Parts: sequence; C-alpha cells; structure tokens
Amino acid sequence: MSTINFAAREINFKIVYYGPGMSGKTTNLKWVFGQIPDTRRGDMVSLATEDERTLFFDFLPVDLGEVKGFKTRFHLYTVPGQVFYNASRKLILRGVDGIVFVADSAPNRLRANAESFRNLRENLAEYGLTMDEVPIVLQANKRDLPDALPVEMVQMVIDPDKKYSMFEAVASTGVGVFETLKAVSRLVLSRVATAG
Amino acid sequence: MIEPAIALYGSTFQSVMKTLEELLRESGARYVMLLDRKGFVLAHKEALWAPRPPALDSLATLIAGNAAATQALAKMLGEPRFQEIVHQGEQNGLYVEEIGEVALLTILFDNSAPLGRVKLTAKKAAQALERLTREAIVTPNKLGIDTDYRDGANALLDELFGN
Repeated sequence: MSTINFAAREINFKIVYYGPGMSGKTTNLKWVFGQIPDTRRGDMVSLATEDERTLFFDFLPVDLGEVKGFKTRFHLYTVPGQVFYNASRKLILRGVDGIVFVADSAPNRLRANAESFRNLRENLAEYGLTMDEVPIVLQANKRDLPDALPVEMVQMVIDPDKKYSMFEAVASTGVGVFETLKAVSRLVLSRVATAG
Repeated sequence: MIEPAIALYGSTFQSVMKTLEELLRESGARYVMLLDRKGFVLAHKEALWAPRPPALDSLATLIAGNAAATQALAKMLGEPRFQEIVHQGEQNGLYVEEIGEVALLTILFDNSAPLGRVKLTAKKAAQALERLTREAIVTPNKLGIDTDYRDGANALLDELFGN
C-alpha cells in the first residue's frame, strides 16, 4: 500500500510491470526513462545479466509533482519474466499498488502469457491478495510483429471475462507506453481516494 | 491489504530523527536511513563531514530488495529471518538491521567507524525505533487522501504523459 511520509510531505506508489520473459517490461521502463525530463525522474537501476535479461528487477522513480502540498512519486519496477526466477519475482510484488501486465503478441508466446498471468495470481495470493484488490491493466506489446495475434485473442487467454483494460503497444518505439502507465496510475489514485 | 503503511510525522518523526542523529554521532557512520520494506525512505540523516551520498532512492531500493532476498533465504534455511545484514568492502561498509516487521535501519560507514561500534549503537537505536515505528503504523484506509488530491494528481499525469 502507498507510503505516505507526512514529514517530508511525500506520497509514494509502487507500480510493478509483470509478464512472461522477453515480453518487453524493461523496454517499457527504458522508454519512460528516455522520454521524461531528468528533473522528473531519478536514476534507473537495472539488475540484469550480461545479455540484458532482468535478473532481479529494474527500478525507476518518477516524480509526478506536488499535489495539495504533497510530493507525489511513482516507483516503477519490473520483475524477471523467466519462469525459473519466481522466488525473486515474488519479492518484487511486496506492497504493490498497481500492476501492468505486459503480454507478448507473438503466436508462440500465447501460452507463456497465460502461465505468467496464472503465476501472478498465485504470487499475489501468497501476500493474501486477490486480483480484484490490486488495480491491473493489460498491455498487448509487440503489435509491430508481422505475425502478431489479434488483440482479442491475446486478451482471451489471460482475461476471458474482459475485466481489465487492454492497451496495444510497441514498447520499442514508445507506442502505447505512456497510455498504459497513465491508465494504471489513474486506477491507483482513484483507489486511494475512495479509501480515504 | 495486508501490507501495513507507515505514516511518520509530528512528534514521532521528531523522535525518529533524534534517534538517527544520536546513532550517527555515536557510531561515527556517514549516513543513516530508516526505510520501509518496500524500499521507500522514511527518514535519513547525513554526517556533516561526509561526502554527498549516492542517490538515496536507488540505495533504498537495492537495500530493501537485498533484505527481501535475504529473508527468503533465511526461510529456506528454517529461520524466520536474519536480524542483521553486514556488507564490508575495502573502504566502506553497510549495516542493515530489521526494525520489526515493517522497517529497516541502514547504516553506511567507512574505515573510520569500527564495525563493533556500529553494531552496538545500531542495536540500541533499533530498540527505540521499533517502538516508534509501531506507533506510526496506520491502516491504509485511514490515510485520508481525498478526491481533490486525486483530481490534482490526475491533472499532473496529463501534463507529464500528454493527453
């Protein structure tokens, strides 16, 4: 849950990018890092292997600015997507305020999307959370692939009830990256406001 | 939500700062920080003689990640947790002590501060901080953020990311 520091007059939110390996979670963060002015963001921390696969997490603090005297910040994290890194993936979810699920549009990654989404549900359950308690948005990434599956099909396997908003994206060129982040931020904000 | 939030302010915050100040003086360390488990800085204090610290956000995130990984490791070994983590380099060291369930006390020190003194003073401060942070735990729905705040924040989102 959000951390409020009344002394420093700061409110912090934690947003986690989840999804199967190579779906583009880190690419999302890199685009945000590259596009917003450096006065509005901190350093990006990447714990990755030599071939740039995320090993533990990526981290990027984003300053929204001051609202009613409170400095508001979003801390963006990615998880390592590869199946065998579940122990560390679970740790990143601790205290999460909102989730972006980055799905891969490639036909041969359809099953990986479903598995990763199921894994998300299981990991949240270990913190005593259900999928309804955390704001979630979906992103169908890599829409530029020549054999990209229809968005409806990607959504069908992870979210057959169409409970979550789905955004189309090409993270490598920035398409849909900000839209996704804005959508999840709004959900997070509306949730704290109704709670108060 | 199971994760409790810490809201440090007012006299509790003043007491925390006083404890950190004392710790800084008695340990001879460069920087002391109080973090929550998610890697957010709750309070920090720097020695006047020390050089500017590295980016606090990055530090806090890595320390919290490290502590989380260490705790998972402890559980695999049949311990509920390791209470303290020490990293010692050639010039600089890092000492992390758990403050109850929710917070982490972090001390960054160099060769001029003996590890024994750092540990000793940290344990003392940890006791005081445990009491203080327990007072500061709030249930998230009592944080009192109103819809004005939300509207203001939403406007800033548009400004930063475009409509």
